[in-house]
Order: sequence, then C-alpha cells, then structure tokens
Amino acid sequence: MMSERQPIIQARDVHFHYTPGRPVLKGITLDLGPGATAIVGQNGAGKSTFVRLLNGLLKPVEGQVLVAGVDTRQMTVAQLARTVGLVFQNPSDQLFKSRVLDEVMFGPLNLGFSAQEARERAEAALAELGLEGLEARNPYDLGLAERKLVTVASVLAMGTPVIILDEPTIAQDQVGVRQLGAIVDRLARAGRTVITITHDMEFVARHFQRVLVFQDGRVLADDTAEAIFAQPELLAAAGLQAPPITRLGQALGLPATVLTVEAFVEAVRAGEG
Amino acid sequence: MRLSLYVPGDTWVHRLDPMTKLLMTVVGIGLTFLLPSLQGGTLLLVLLLAVLGSAGVLHRAAAVYVGVAIVAGTFLVVQGLVYPGNAVPALTLGPIVFYREGLLVGLRLALRLYNILSATLILVLVTHPSDLVEAVVRRGASPRLGYVIMAVLQVIPTMMATASTIMDAQRSRGLETEGSLWVRLKAFVPVMGPLVTGSLIATEERALALEVRGFSGEGRPTFLKEEVIPPYATAARLVTVAALAAGIAGRWLLGW
Repeated sequence: MMSERQPIIQARDVHFHYTPGRPVLKGITLDLGPGATAIVGQNGAGKSTFVRLLNGLLKPVEGQVLVAGVDTRQMTVAQLARTVGLVFQNPSDQLFKSRVLDEVMFGPLNLGFSAQEARERAEAALAELGLEGLEARNPYDLGLAERKLVTVASVLAMGTPVIILDEPTIAQDQVGVRQLGAIVDRLARAGRTVITITHDMEFVARHFQRVLVFQDGRVLADDTAEAIFAQPELLAAAGLQAPPITRLGQALGLPATVLTVEAFVEAVRAGEG
Repeated sequence: MRLSLYVPGDTWVHRLDPMTKLLMTVVGIGLTFLLPSLQGGTLLLVLLLAVLGSAGVLHRAAAVYVGVAIVAGTFLVVQGLVYPGNAVPALTLGPIVFYREGLLVGLRLALRLYNILSATLILVLVTHPSDLVEAVVRRGASPRLGYVIMAVLQVIPTMMATASTIMDAQRSRGLETEGSLWVRLKAFVPVMGPLVTGSLIATEERALALEVRGFSGEGRPTFLKEEVIPPYATAARLVTVAALAAGIAGRWLLGW
C-alpha cells in the first residue's frame, strides 16, 4: 500500500514502443503528486503515450508505473479507473448515451456508486462546467465545445484522485477555457492530482504549478511554469513558445518572468513606481 | 494500419500497368476453367507461380495458400471418400478408405482453387488498389464507383483504429471489457454507439468535403498522376492473349 508521503503516481525508468526498434518513451522517471501538472511538447514527443501508461491502457515495455503504490501491470484499466480518470481529446470517442445526464452518470455507475449517488455527482459536475439545463439533451445535438465539456464532466463525476485532461482547451471559447481553468484550480487546491496535455501555453501559465517538457520520448525539463517560461532556448528546443505576455515582458526587460496579463500590469506599474 | 495486401516493389510485374495485370488475372481465371485436366492445371499453376515469383511476392502468396489449405484438404477428403465414381482404393486408414478416382477429382478441384487464387494474387499483391481504381476510371468507369471502392478500402482500417480508441475511452471510465461473455456483451453498446455515430458523421463530412471540391462537377476529371505503361506491356498483353488462345485451342482441338 502507498504511504501517505508517497506520490500517487511513480514512473520508474519507463520505456515504451509500439513497434520494436522505434522507441516512443526512452526511460522516464518522475513522480506525480497533488497539484496541477502540465505536460507540453511537440506532437510525437510521447505525451499522449505517457498518460495512457498512467491509467494502464498501455503497459511499459521496460520499467514500471506505480499508481497508489501498485504496478499498473497488476491491474485492469477498469480497476485503475477508480484512481485515474482520463478525458480523451475527441469527445466523439466516448459519447454514446442519448442524454447528457446519462452520459455523465456512466463513469460513476461503473465505479459502483448507487444510481442516486451517480446522479448527484453527475449534476454537480455538470453545474461546475456550466452545463445545467442540458441534462436531457442528446450530446450529439451539442456543439463541439459543449460536447467536450460533457466528457470532462463525465470524468469529473467519477471523483478520482488523479484526473488527466488531454487537450481540454481545444475548440473552447474564452468562457469554456475559464471554466476549465477554474476546475483545474479547484481540484489542485483540493489536493487532487491534475495532469493536462496541452499546447495552450497561456492556459499552462495561468493554471499549472509544474510543467513537464517532453521531447523525443524524454523529459527535457521539469520545473515550475515560471522557470520553464523563463528559458526561451529550452522552449525553442522543444518547439514551444512562452505565452505572448511572457515574451512581451522579456522583451521589455522586466526583471521577473510574468505569466499573466495581471502580473504583467503589476510588474510594469511597479517599475514605473 | 494497412488493409490491402499490396507488396511494394520494383519488379517487371510491379511496373506493368494495372490493366495489363487485370488482363493477366482474368485470363488466368479463364484458363483455370478451360484446362480441367491435372496436366493443364499444373502447367497453369507453374506459370502463375513463375509470375508471382518474378514479382518477389511468393512469400506473401504462400501465407494465403496456407490459409486456404484447409479448403483444398477438404476437397481431397470429401471427394476421396464419397465421390460417386469411386472404385479403386488408394489409401486405407483403419476403417476409412480413400479412393483413387475421388482423390484425383479432389486434386483437380484443389488445383483449380489455387489457380484462381494465384491469378487473383497477381492483381492483389502486385497492384496498389488506388492505381487499379484510377486505371479503371480512366477507361470510363464512374468516378463515383471508384470513390466508393476506395472509401470502403479506407474506412475499414479507420474504423478499426477508432474502435480501439473508443474502447480505451470507455475503459478509462471504468467499463470492464475483459471477462465473461456477459461482461463483453455489456461493453458492446458503449463501444458501438460512438463508432457508428462517429462513422456517420465522418461520412457526411467527407461527402461535404468532396462536394466543395467539385466532386459532382460535370465533365471528366483529370488525374494527379500520369499513367505509365512500360514498353513491354504490349508484349505482356500479347503473350497473355496468346496463352488464352492456346488454352482454347488445346481444349477443343487437342482435347487437353
């Protein structure tokens, strides 16, 4: 069993390939614990493969992934789903119920919650994502952004200690991005482990305390968002760019790395003062 | 993921245009029925294997041959046991007696099966499906028909990949897909629902994408690639037609 101080996810020298001789992950060792962690990197860097190892969809070729102290090889994906929830990038890959409420209740029911509990959890998750009033709608009658939020709600309702979001902000307008950011913040404050794959650097800068930069199957950097975005060369090597406001601050020679517009304004005003 | 059995290569057979290979296949199948004797069937099989061998695809053909061996074996067993003309015992295994006449009939049927298969493999293993469809459309077949054929070839691997992703998404929400038959049946709807819905949406979007690019426009479309017909294609066609003529002559004039 996991001790209280043990990280909920431990990756130990994880290697993986889909085709022998063509490694996708080349020895990843890291711990993931409470808080918000963003995984960034170019397409093909191994980000999606890595998160699929965390919930047992894939098993390491070498090394091991421990979830709550247990090797993922010893558990089925359905068993791991009690601990690790994964929201897929494309909502069409999972929506199948004819009502939004039923769709969101699907996960909690699979975990063994009673129908009443599952309903309460589903309604709470939908409310948190601003989807109240859509409970009886067919998910396929909703727009892409709302469908994506329904898939987030469906995993949120499962109440797993670990939540992985794969590109959650794609197709979202500002309202949707704000709601997702608020959820990340709340879950992180509540001591849950939130892991997000994203190319949205502004979303990362605003909501994630820790950033993992993946490149060519390895972790190129593992640090705070501030430290990562302060290194343009590192980001360039990984095919990334800091958010525009951060680059503007760097171009103006601000002493600290600013991650948000609010921080930028504050830094400029402090400079003027 | 690859659906077609096409084996890339740069042999003389690969370089032949698809219509010549189509002709070889049709003639090969025709000769199979024109030459019912063991000798004629064997000669045809040797010729077809020579073509496949020179195309460097015998190893892939062998895998197909092994796959249908059970059918060929069934011909031998059934005919050897119960062919109405059975008279001369050829093999006795305890109470089971195989007869010479039936075994010969079974052998002829098996030869016919392998000849049809070999002739078809010239087209399947050495001709890319899109090249064949394009060649047929160039000669007047409907572009819609060509699109339907290619769409079917493309949609199956796509659907298989999508089904795998959907399965992963549902398992990630705690759906158990491994275990008893009932557990697997329960997993059927959550997987098939998104798969069918997604396929319908994708089909509609693909149709719209085709329309906005003028798929239904009037007039014959032009083609992205120039059709390359090697100089020896004419000779190959003549030899193929000559083989057919020889088969016809042999069957009716020489009694092959």
